[in-house]
Amino acid sequence: MRILDVQHLQKSFGGLMAVKDLSFHVDQGEILGLIGPNGAGKTTVFNLIMGVLKPDSGTIRFKEKEITSWPTYQIVNAGVARVFQIARYFKHKNVYENIEISTIPNEVFAFKDAAHLHEKVMTCCECTGLCTCHEHTGHCNCCTQLPGMLPQGALRRLEVARAIGTDPDLLLLDEPFAGLSPQEVDEISHLITQLRQEGQTIVLIDHNMRGLMRLVDRVVVLCFGEKLMEGSPQEVSENPRVQEAYLAGGRV
Amino acid sequence: MSRKGIKYLLLLGLVALLTILPLIPGALNTKWMTTITFATYFAIFVLGWDILCGYTGQISFGHSFFVGASGYTSALLSLYFKWPIWATIPCGVLASLALGLLLSVPALRLRGPYFSLITLIMPLIAIKLVLIFSSITGGELGKSNIPAIPTPVPPCPSDAGPDVCRALFIQYQQYQYYYALGLMALVAIALLIISTSRIGKILEAIRDNEEAVEAAGINTAKFKILAFGISSFVVGLGGAFYVHYLETVLPQEVLSPTRSTEIIIASVLGGMGTIIGPLFGAYAVRLGQEGLREAANHIPALQFLNDWALFIFLALLIVLIFVARQGVLPALVGAPYLRKLKKFRKLGQQSVASKEVS
Repeated sequence: MRILDVQHLQKSFGGLMAVKDLSFHVDQGEILGLIGPNGAGKTTVFNLIMGVLKPDSGTIRFKEKEITSWPTYQIVNAGVARVFQIARYFKHKNVYENIEISTIPNEVFAFKDAAHLHEKVMTCCECTGLCTCHEHTGHCNCCTQLPGMLPQGALRRLEVARAIGTDPDLLLLDEPFAGLSPQEVDEISHLITQLRQEGQTIVLIDHNMRGLMRLVDRVVVLCFGEKLMEGSPQEVSENPRVQEAYLAGGRV
Repeated sequence: MSRKGIKYLLLLGLVALLTILPLIPGALNTKWMTTITFATYFAIFVLGWDILCGYTGQISFGHSFFVGASGYTSALLSLYFKWPIWATIPCGVLASLALGLLLSVPALRLRGPYFSLITLIMPLIAIKLVLIFSSITGGELGKSNIPAIPTPVPPCPSDAGPDVCRALFIQYQQYQYYYALGLMALVAIALLIISTSRIGKILEAIRDNEEAVEAAGINTAKFKILAFGISSFVVGLGGAFYVHYLETVLPQEVLSPTRSTEIIIASVLGGMGTIIGPLFGAYAVRLGQEGLREAANHIPALQFLNDWALFIFLALLIVLIFVARQGVLPALVGAPYLRKLKKFRKLGQQSVASKEVS
């Protein structure tokens, strides 16, 4: 089943065509890799899906509903969440409170069970490996830290936790490996695999293909805002046109 | 104890203290009772400012606009139409609320200095309007004989001696004191509840990173309008009661930029974005200034303080912005205590560890 369907999406900034007649879809339960060299328009596509930017033309359908040009918060509530490349956390709130904001419903008078919200926050904390909770006392040790004190890897995990807190059906990850140490890359890959096993549908952006290929089911290659090709990781990495675009002929 | 618990405890302490104070014989003369009543109304304005500006981080330099809007509406309605004040005060509050919601529309589009500029201009426009319609508003001289908030205290009989009149006046002052205190306590409790609820958390998060709040699926515009509504409602409520307490309505009393600036000073001093901090800040600014003046009047060596009271407060504020930017109260209650606690814990762990090694 197609969970996200993008048709003939187009966006230009002044004279620059950032996204040109782009069509692709995401199936339920898969991990789609969106790759391309720097400046290929990957993040712009995310911004268009999330309603941060309005497309010039084209449609975005999510779960059969057209969400083109909806405001961001509505798209999030419909079930799309995004992890930013550069962490956008609340620096005066601790880890727990950061995640809590994602779980709060968008209503002024919401009498949702507080215990339920607490549980949700703790689940997000735990499943992203942010907190190790004591089995017997239930006391968790790192939720009271301010995000500014966290290392890059943990910060990325906090971003994932904040995204998961909104209960997404589709998770958009924007360069989740950027700026991480090799060990942290492994940890985040592990986290993504884990999410996938739980049935989470994911779109993953990266310009570094190597780390990505193990994780994704299908790849869409962007170049200068256009779709260069689409296929399995194997097909894509063997395609000479992709190699041309990427490394000017070098092997990927 | 949680931060929330400390806030309620501090509020309870303050209200209890202010409730008991007039009951202690000789503790308050009429002058100080009046000063505290003024301070209590001022505290309501500061509380209203904090839930909007302290929490969402959009600084309004013109909150006296809402005091004036509500005050003039209620005062003029009761003066010209002879409506009872229980009808005019809600009208004043509604006027303030309506203007607040109207202002929130440009506020959602404008950020930073542009928003502040708009708030700065609003009371200036209002003052101009008061002067233009001076046949109705009394212009610069304002209007007096505004009906007072009724008390059970009878007016002084014409054949009574000055002592009787004086006793009645003190009694009257006491009623007004408790009216203001009751109103402030209600407002403070309501705002503490709101600010520690999910609404408060969302507003704080908006101050931190609005985009991230949108990305969490929350309509930030809706919550900012809500904050505007609550703020203008609270300040309007205080403003309407205030003019009936004063029994006059004057542009320099309810609309002046000085009043708006004082509101900001009190909030920053107490610690904006905490509700309880600005509340204490309001009393500190008002009673502190009066205290300095009192000292100047009684001690000849301190006479210079008479002119320097406001200067000292402003200078103090500048110093505080450097040493305790989060405000005096949070600095006193929060940080050092927590730091010490952490240190002790660390020391404890280290000593345990060293014992295990040895």
